[in-house]
Amino acid sequence: MKHFLLFAYAIVCTSTFAQNTSIGSNENLTFSASYNMSGLLTEIAQVTMETSEVNTSNTTLLRLKCTAATYSSFDNYFKIRDLYESYVSRTTLLPFLHKRDINEGSYYKFMQYKFNHKTRTVESTLKKKNTAENKTLKIGANTRDIVSTIYHIRNLDIHKASPGDIQNFTFLFDEEELIISVKYLKKETINTNLGKKECYKLAISLKNDDALKGTNENLLWLTADGNKIPVYAKFKIAVGTGELKIKSASGLKN
Amino acid sequence: MRRFLIILGFITSILAVILSVSPLSNIAFIPAVLALICGFIAFYLSRQKQYPTKSIQLILLLTIISLTITTYKAVFNVAEVGNIESLELKVKESEKEAIEELEGLDLDDMEIDTEDEPNFSEIDSLP
Repeated sequence: MKHFLLFAYAIVCTSTFAQNTSIGSNENLTFSASYNMSGLLTEIAQVTMETSEVNTSNTTLLRLKCTAATYSSFDNYFKIRDLYESYVSRTTLLPFLHKRDINEGSYYKFMQYKFNHKTRTVESTLKKKNTAENKTLKIGANTRDIVSTIYHIRNLDIHKASPGDIQNFTFLFDEEELIISVKYLKKETINTNLGKKECYKLAISLKNDDALKGTNENLLWLTADGNKIPVYAKFKIAVGTGELKIKSASGLKN
Repeated sequence: MRRFLIILGFITSILAVILSVSPLSNIAFIPAVLALICGFIAFYLSRQKQYPTKSIQLILLLTIISLTITTYKAVFNVAEVGNIESLELKVKESEKEAIEELEGLDLDDMEIDTEDEPNFSEIDSLP
């Protein structure tokens, strides 16, 4: 009995931290963000998601970097140059440092979170044009940042899920813990710039925030293969819908 | 009715011209088509009652200009990212700063204290 319990405990311990099976250390995904009104698509910005390895004196981490830059035709009207970064464990994708640098028109904001998972606290730094603020925040056991949450969703064992299954994730955004709910809808084959792909169709909603509107109207398609690349996303906004379509993918793990 | 259609036609055709020169030029198709419909109906009514059609011709001219600009932009304009040198510079600086920040953190043992997050398969399906 004792041996059985020890064996069971060992299995639980190893399954506690889902190992990174989907995210390569030199991955580069490029997307085009567009605005869709009555079927008329207007390309607005280019979004990239890149990963790379970062060496510190005692460990090697995975750097998850997301950038957004408006196309030149929009730059004169509303220029966006956003940078979102997360430095995570290569194996568990657990974040240690998150940085968010927002440059949108004349608006500037810098946000940094230093995670201490041992004490479940986050040292937060907020900088705006004329102000700076430091805070220590208490977080839950599984709270991540927005970037590592996206990559964490990609790393889930979706092939084991049944249509209708839901999983919630907590992430820190603007010094607030938000809950994102991911519902697995079905498998669907769609045409992408990478070819015809069989995908997992997921519905995404925010539980304690109304940034994403509608039920089952914010959708994400992840390829139903080992890489689970986000090839297409559709989200409802006040007037019309926003879309994110993949343009290219390289450095994939599988 | 004819007067209402002419006013609506003017508003939508001017809106179409403004949108066609903006980056949201594709959306100009919506007011342009509306202006065309208003223009043609007003033209038909004017001819029936022998009213002048000068203002309607102006609506149609504005609509054609906006449709030409929009179609040209839709066919020939390629979406390209502008100058991102400052962003690239920021990316490099940010990595350097991040490494300094990470050196100050105790990264050992940090991965052992999180609770077990259930996976999709362990969650009950919705009713």
